[in-house]
Amino acid sequence: MLEIIILGRGGQGAQTAGNQLAQALFTEGYHVQSFSTYGGARRGTPVTSSLRVDTRPIRLRCNISSASALLCFDDSLLDDAFLKLAGDGAVVVVNSAREPEALPSRGNLRVVPVDGKAIARRNNMGKVVNSALLGAFSATVGKPGIDAMCRVIKETAPTKVQENLAACREAYGLLQPVAVEV
Amino acid sequence: MNAPLFTEDLKLLNGNHAVAWGVCLAEPDVAPVYPITPQTPILEKLIDFESRGACQIELLTPESEHSAMAAAIAASATGARVFTATSSQGLLLMHELLHYASGARTPIVLFNVNRTPAAPWGFWPDQIDSLSQRDTGWVQLYSESPQESLDSVIQAFRIAEAVNLPVMVNHDAFYVSHSVEPVSIPDAGMVRDFLPRIPREIQLGDGTGRSLGAPIDQAAWNLTRREMDAAMKRVENVSEQAGSEWERLTGRPSAPLEFYRCEDAEIVYVTMGSMSGTVREVVDLLRESGVPAGLLKVRLFRPLPVQALRHALAGTSCAIVLDRNYSPGTGGVLHQELKAGLFGMENPPRVHGMLAGVGGVNVPVGSIAKLAADCRNAEQTAEPVWVE
Repeated sequence: MLEIIILGRGGQGAQTAGNQLAQALFTEGYHVQSFSTYGGARRGTPVTSSLRVDTRPIRLRCNISSASALLCFDDSLLDDAFLKLAGDGAVVVVNSAREPEALPSRGNLRVVPVDGKAIARRNNMGKVVNSALLGAFSATVGKPGIDAMCRVIKETAPTKVQENLAACREAYGLLQPVAVEV
Repeated sequence: MNAPLFTEDLKLLNGNHAVAWGVCLAEPDVAPVYPITPQTPILEKLIDFESRGACQIELLTPESEHSAMAAAIAASATGARVFTATSSQGLLLMHELLHYASGARTPIVLFNVNRTPAAPWGFWPDQIDSLSQRDTGWVQLYSESPQESLDSVIQAFRIAEAVNLPVMVNHDAFYVSHSVEPVSIPDAGMVRDFLPRIPREIQLGDGTGRSLGAPIDQAAWNLTRREMDAAMKRVENVSEQAGSEWERLTGRPSAPLEFYRCEDAEIVYVTMGSMSGTVREVVDLLRESGVPAGLLKVRLFRPLPVQALRHALAGTSCAIVLDRNYSPGTGGVLHQELKAGLFGMENPPRVHGMLAGVGGVNVPVGSIAKLAADCRNAEQTAEPVWVE
């Protein structure tokens, strides 16, 4: 089972990203379970979204405590509490203009920065980094494939479909795959 | 990997949207609903369906849950099929009228998303909101997954209309309500055949010279409760029949109690709702390490299928009840109910009451598995234990 945690600030689209990843993996034939708790979440407060992916039906209904892949919408959220949710050797894709060495990490985590903001700007997406980060995740983790990811973005983007797709593909092209323990 | 998972009738839905699909297929005439986190997506999806002409429900959005239930009772009394949904504070605000609905024998179906009641304010999965309504005369079902929620809400109409009692279906906040998963959508014609329109004995209307719920004397009031008692006694059979017909139609078991690997189980976990899924994983792990464990999932909580529980637990030495609720001064509600249900049984199992997940705290595989080792050879205590 692949367990993924997405962390963002309320309003950045972490929950939407979780559902888009789930949709793409579902169309690839996987069983998925995507859930988030938002409670008192407001614009700007940290929000997590969790995703389980497996080849058989998913039965667990508890929090993910040892994710093998993490997606972080904002490097200021990359703190100890978040990194503790990462399992041994997990991959952490993070929206950041900083070098990997300049980012917080622990143990043998592989922290992969992607400058989502710059990619979004170049593709006329303003501050909306969602699709760029999904492209980066697809490239790094290898799941879902870029075609499934783009199909879902095309179906679900509320506006600027071409810009969203371009941002996703640009980020995908910039990153190398990293082996993820499943 | 290319399993035929992505099929036409399989959709990726969260638990609340799965409920709305089930409601749409059940074709209620009227649905008065007031929004509340984390129930609101049910209402939103129903509005979406209705506005697109996908269903013909008369949706009402009154000014409170109390008014929503008042409207539900009135609509049901005219013979209409009625649905409503709520959560936590909303259900508690309905409390007065929950008694009214059952006393008036209105077969309303209510979907409740289990959430912590205030104070303090919270949005977390905890079943005390609905369990504290156990004496209001409503049938109560608990669901583990979005698929089961869809299936249960359809079956709930069948049960309600067969016995003229209202039915409340419950699922846990977030772990089910907001969990997006593959859900199979049943065929509309099949659901229509499963839920035939039964003419009701009492149908208030313009030309009806009758009243409903008018003041009566002691003996007549007493009789209404005897009649409710008789109706409640029929619920287990009716839901068993509805469940087996549903299984025949869809392949999905829907019995009042579900047993997972209980054959020869020395330790049986007993729980309701979302935690059942995690317990399945625990049972498999324990079995792999040679510990004979099983899961007894209580789907029908009110009326509790007591004889079936006694039969199921005969031969088991240790029952571990996982309660995601806390009744101050006593403990877990399912723990109390199970102890009472097993009273007088020959060689009953030891019953260990565990307060697990109260307030929505996470209950991982490890802490459930540890309980098997803790309880396997331990004496039971009257007091519940708070699980860390």
